[in-house]
Amino acid sequence: MACLVRSWIPLLFLQSFLVAIAFGSNEGEEFSEELLLKPLPDRKVLAHFHFENRAPPSNSHGRNHHLFPKAISQLVQKFRVKEMELSFTQGRWNHEHWGGFDPLSSMNAKPVGVELWAVFDVPQSQVDISWKNLTHALSGLFCASINFLESSTSYAAPTWGFGTNSDKLRYGSLPREAVCTENLTPWLKLLPCRDKDGISALMNRPSVYRGFYHSQRLHLSTVESGQEGLGSGIVLEQTLTVVIQPETTSVETNMQPSWSLSSLFGRKVVGSCVLAKSSNVYLQLEGRLGHESKNVDTEIEAHKLWMNSDFDLSLKPDRVIRESSSLLFIFDIDKSSDSEPFDLGLTWKLPSKWSCEQAPLHASRFLMGSGNERGAIAILLKATESQEKLSGRNLTTDGRCTIKANIFQIFPWYIKVYYHTLQIFVDQQQKTDSEVLKKINVSPSTDKVSSGMLEMMLELPCEVKSAAISIEYDKGFLHIDEYPPDANQGFDIPSALISFPSHHASLDFQEELSKSPLLSSFKEKSLVRSYTEVLLVPLTTPDFSMPYNVITITCTIFALYFGSLLNVLRRRIGEEERFLKSQAGKKRGGLKQLLSRLTAKIRGRPIEAPSSESPAAESSFLSSKLIFKIILVAGAAAAWQYFSTDK
Amino acid sequence: MKIVILVMLLCYSFAFSSGDTTIHTNNWAVLVCTSRFWFNYRHMANTLSLYRTVKRLGIPDERIILMLADDMACNARNEYPAQVFNNENHKLNLYGDNVEVDYRGYEVTVENFLRVLTGRHENAVPRSKRLLSDEGSHILLYMTGHGGDEFLKFQDAEELQSHDLADAVKQMKEKRRFKELMIMVDTCQAATLFNQLQSPGVLAIGSSLKGENSYSHHLDSDVGVSVVDRFTYYTLAFFERLNIYDNASLNSLFRSYDPKLLMSTAYYRTDLYQPHLAEVPVTNFFGSVMETIHTDSVYKAFSSKTSNNKINSEMPVNQLSEHDELQKANIPNDELKTEKQKCPYTQMRVDLHEKLEKFENVDTVVNLGIAVMVFVVMISSSLL
Repeated sequence: MACLVRSWIPLLFLQSFLVAIAFGSNEGEEFSEELLLKPLPDRKVLAHFHFENRAPPSNSHGRNHHLFPKAISQLVQKFRVKEMELSFTQGRWNHEHWGGFDPLSSMNAKPVGVELWAVFDVPQSQVDISWKNLTHALSGLFCASINFLESSTSYAAPTWGFGTNSDKLRYGSLPREAVCTENLTPWLKLLPCRDKDGISALMNRPSVYRGFYHSQRLHLSTVESGQEGLGSGIVLEQTLTVVIQPETTSVETNMQPSWSLSSLFGRKVVGSCVLAKSSNVYLQLEGRLGHESKNVDTEIEAHKLWMNSDFDLSLKPDRVIRESSSLLFIFDIDKSSDSEPFDLGLTWKLPSKWSCEQAPLHASRFLMGSGNERGAIAILLKATESQEKLSGRNLTTDGRCTIKANIFQIFPWYIKVYYHTLQIFVDQQQKTDSEVLKKINVSPSTDKVSSGMLEMMLELPCEVKSAAISIEYDKGFLHIDEYPPDANQGFDIPSALISFPSHHASLDFQEELSKSPLLSSFKEKSLVRSYTEVLLVPLTTPDFSMPYNVITITCTIFALYFGSLLNVLRRRIGEEERFLKSQAGKKRGGLKQLLSRLTAKIRGRPIEAPSSESPAAESSFLSSKLIFKIILVAGAAAAWQYFSTDK
Repeated sequence: MKIVILVMLLCYSFAFSSGDTTIHTNNWAVLVCTSRFWFNYRHMANTLSLYRTVKRLGIPDERIILMLADDMACNARNEYPAQVFNNENHKLNLYGDNVEVDYRGYEVTVENFLRVLTGRHENAVPRSKRLLSDEGSHILLYMTGHGGDEFLKFQDAEELQSHDLADAVKQMKEKRRFKELMIMVDTCQAATLFNQLQSPGVLAIGSSLKGENSYSHHLDSDVGVSVVDRFTYYTLAFFERLNIYDNASLNSLFRSYDPKLLMSTAYYRTDLYQPHLAEVPVTNFFGSVMETIHTDSVYKAFSSKTSNNKINSEMPVNQLSEHDELQKANIPNDELKTEKQKCPYTQMRVDLHEKLEKFENVDTVVNLGIAVMVFVVMISSSLL
């Protein structure tokens, strides 16, 4: 028995050691993985992956990295980043059907391409340098051309229009940037389990990129510890939002498609990431469904929530939470295993319809005018259904109901905007600036040096049906080297950001949910914001073969000039030679010539040139003359050189 | 007799130590796809196939600089998002789950390409975008795109000329950025791109001779475009049979190209490359297979410089001792070659420089120079 115990002790030690590595020794580093699934009214499914990694404040010696990615913490340390957000997006968020007034859309509906903003904790003079270095570091880290944001023509420093008020904020976006696997892979490598285990194992690349919309976001913020000698903690939030169309076999068009995780992603979840503190899957059902059953007191009622006449869930939820307009089913995936993988499915039995809550105004942007010289940009704000509900909430001091809207827009320098042409129409009537424009901040662009930026705060009456803002611009000319290889495609103007500072979106859970970072972030009030479309402006593009044409024609002219000059110079000597030859021939007499012709005919050869002695003699005579001249010139030059250096 | 051989060996090792003596310590790969636009899908597939091959044969991602001029995998025209195929059977997704693209889209320019080769970057450029090779590196440079007589087009907008390439390689040699460099080019008239190369240690393979086109291999009717070029296809056909432990030589790779199948003549330029091709395994360039050196003591090879030198000088000797028993006649020949390596031009330049520095009066030198010029003018004009 003793023997047995003895052999067990080391094993136990080992086990406890391993457990300590896995859980104990993280010293407060916390990682959690969550997935929110949400059927959308237009027969699509939204999947929102949320990973949060928290690193506690470190001491002055630096940080011990267990779960937190070292690359990110070095980034924060080196460039002194206070807050940063980087997003890679393809597709356009459909505000009408996918929602515009919930925390999910206000945080994860991002402009197409790459968007980066960062707040630095450095002296004002060093912010731009830090930004430049940060863009390069991120481009290496995420395999993208983020380094194009380093040039001062591509970023701006918003003051208040962006929503974050800081003079150390820099913002830039690259609308044309491609987003693909190579961006997702390094992003996944920041997770402790990568894409090998847990919820992230669902991310099958083809199914993610087949989606209508995918946005991969990385948000990091530093948390000041407030204690002496301690640095700041870092919170790294990584989200991936995908909108997928489930494949359906049913012919009925008004029936919502049924789906399961394996049908959406082609994979199942087999167990959680062991390093995660919590791994949960949420299913959010919106609209009519939420209101149906009010009391969930009894077990039978609760059962009815997830297996009723409308729909079936393939798994029993661990908890059900009600929100003001939706139901939230919570699943803990810890229980799943290889033999029993977690494969949540939703089967609809009856056709159902609901709508998402929308932002007070729906924004869209378009170009006006034609031709390659000038044009105008218009931003149209249209009232949505939800506006009526919201009206009455935002009374100003004088009793008027107003909607505030901030517009933030960056113009590349080659779009030369005339700010004095700004016109505002409310319900098709032109308004003077003082009526609706509360605040405006303009920083004009400088050619090839900096981009232009426009920040506006509009205060519109609540009953507004539509508001339009238009501004005229001239198209600039680029240098031939500045055109991209596909210049004929046109140039992109980055999305404008419309935010509603007096509206905040949040989910209102009745229960306390401090455990889940995703839900607690939803519970916080977030600014309602939406991005407009990217505009494609065709600029005048030169004929790129023009330089070659110029080079060719110049070369031809030069060749002709020098060629003919040389020819003229040479021909004179030739003529002299011919003249001398003919003279020599004459001297020789006709008899000799006839003889030589005869001999040539007999031999079958062309006539031999008259003996080469005489031209050689002539040329030597010529060259001696030439040599004399050259020596004279050279001597003069040498003398000149000699005397000039002496003095 | 033995003494003679020993002396010769010593000479050899000394001559070698003045040139490229360092042993092969690491492998790098620079893979470039220079073509933009969807119809050039095959060029990206070519590059990614090579990427997959070198990765499979042991070169890690941080030692591969991958340049892709356009996004094909997530292109709106791609029927198979996040996937790239080089064969119509669609068995192998080249884009996989672990692709690291270092330069992409508009970043693939001649300027950036030359910067990568010569290592002249801005300070802010991260390590993953740099070619951090050293004098012990074997580098594989693969390029594909559209080319012509002595040029290769980048992004359909600019050209890399054979002179640019040769200059960059020469600079790399002088900066000791490689030990051996293999340039593989799959474009039309690829052979012409190597015309200006003159740096030792460079081996070049092109898919076609001057005046020949490089053709695509087959069209994938699902993707809608041609998916691979012939030369790369048959290169891959050769490599797919290999694994990291195979000892196939470069010669066998070169012999595997059949002009009938390629519809062009593969061209190899070997005059700058000394080792015998039959003795060089392909993994010298396409993989990362290192020689293990046994040392008496642990870690000593890395800690002290002297022992390091010892290895360096010993290595060629060891290699030669095997060598010379087979071909004794070749040794004097080798010696001649290595003497050439001392580079008489640089020696002359140094001498000249020293002499110039001895002069106290610079003006007299200038005057003398003018006098010499006058003399030269006289001679040249008298020749006319």
